[in-house]
Amino acid sequence: VEIHKVNATTPNGFRPVVLKPTGFLVRMLLGGLFVFAGATKVYDPGAFAIELQRYQLVPWIIGALLAIYLPWLEMFAGVLLLSKKTEWGALLVTTLLLFIFTSALASAMLRGLNIDCGCLGKTFAAIGTVLLLVRNLTLLGCTAVLWTKHRRLGLDSCGRAS
Amino acid sequence: MIKTDYPARQSRDPVCLRPDQITITVDAPVKIESVRSVRQPVVIVFAALIPALLTAAFHPRRPALSEEALPGEERLETVLGWGKTVLWIDARSAKEFNAVHVRAHFFSISKIGILCFRVSWNNGARRKESCLLQFDRMQVSHEVAERLKQSGISFVFVLKGGWEAWKSTK
Repeated sequence: VEIHKVNATTPNGFRPVVLKPTGFLVRMLLGGLFVFAGATKVYDPGAFAIELQRYQLVPWIIGALLAIYLPWLEMFAGVLLLSKKTEWGALLVTTLLLFIFTSALASAMLRGLNIDCGCLGKTFAAIGTVLLLVRNLTLLGCTAVLWTKHRRLGLDSCGRAS
Repeated sequence: MIKTDYPARQSRDPVCLRPDQITITVDAPVKIESVRSVRQPVVIVFAALIPALLTAAFHPRRPALSEEALPGEERLETVLGWGKTVLWIDARSAKEFNAVHVRAHFFSISKIGILCFRVSWNNGARRKESCLLQFDRMQVSHEVAERLKQSGISFVFVLKGGWEAWKSTK
């Protein structure tokens, strides 16, 4: 059986040698952060429900259900982001979550609510809404790095070169 | 799909092919790939539901699913039952307070210093006096309540529903 070697250089001429370690580090950072964020909220979903209620975006019942479900979703997405095989799906979920969190935070800021994000439990409480927004935008930037890596390396949904 | 092409057989004799004589062509299964792309996030979303259901059923700190007063909050009916022992603080902005407010037992947040002194004094005398904060912005009310508690006032509550709840009874 003849085996054809895949050319290591992408069609754009971008070398994966540079992207791979950067992508790996960003993936570890983002995945670890999501696992940590989920774990802090899983410990006390009641407190997280109160944090969500302070956004004044959803009725109590929806906030309570989200407070129970979101931490687990974050943890699952974070853990699976650490694995190369499940990176694509986890990255999609993390990006969507970050987009929703950032939008909620921006909306709270526009409505004059000076609230603690609740994203990382009490770890980064009372650092101000603007800083929280900057942090979330930085994390969204991290997801952008990973999406760029996927596009440039031409990886499919299973992390294989297409 | 995998297609295997064998060299044309010259006779009916059994043929033993060398590996390099076989060409295997793999067509890209477009449909299967797109299903795979959707499958991963969907699996994550549904997998998270399982521990979430367990949390909703058994977690000791799970939130109540029925709408009820948050910790540190009291319902208006309960507070009205306390009678005249209640001091009220209107923690809305000065503009909102000046536009409309209730006179009796109500203090603007700008006079909170005097009120704190009064409530502290009463607490010190072991008189049961409750201090209620009511406003439109829940976060502000909880912050003020927290500060009052830190300053040593024990009976501090936030009115559930805020100003709207008060207006609805009048």
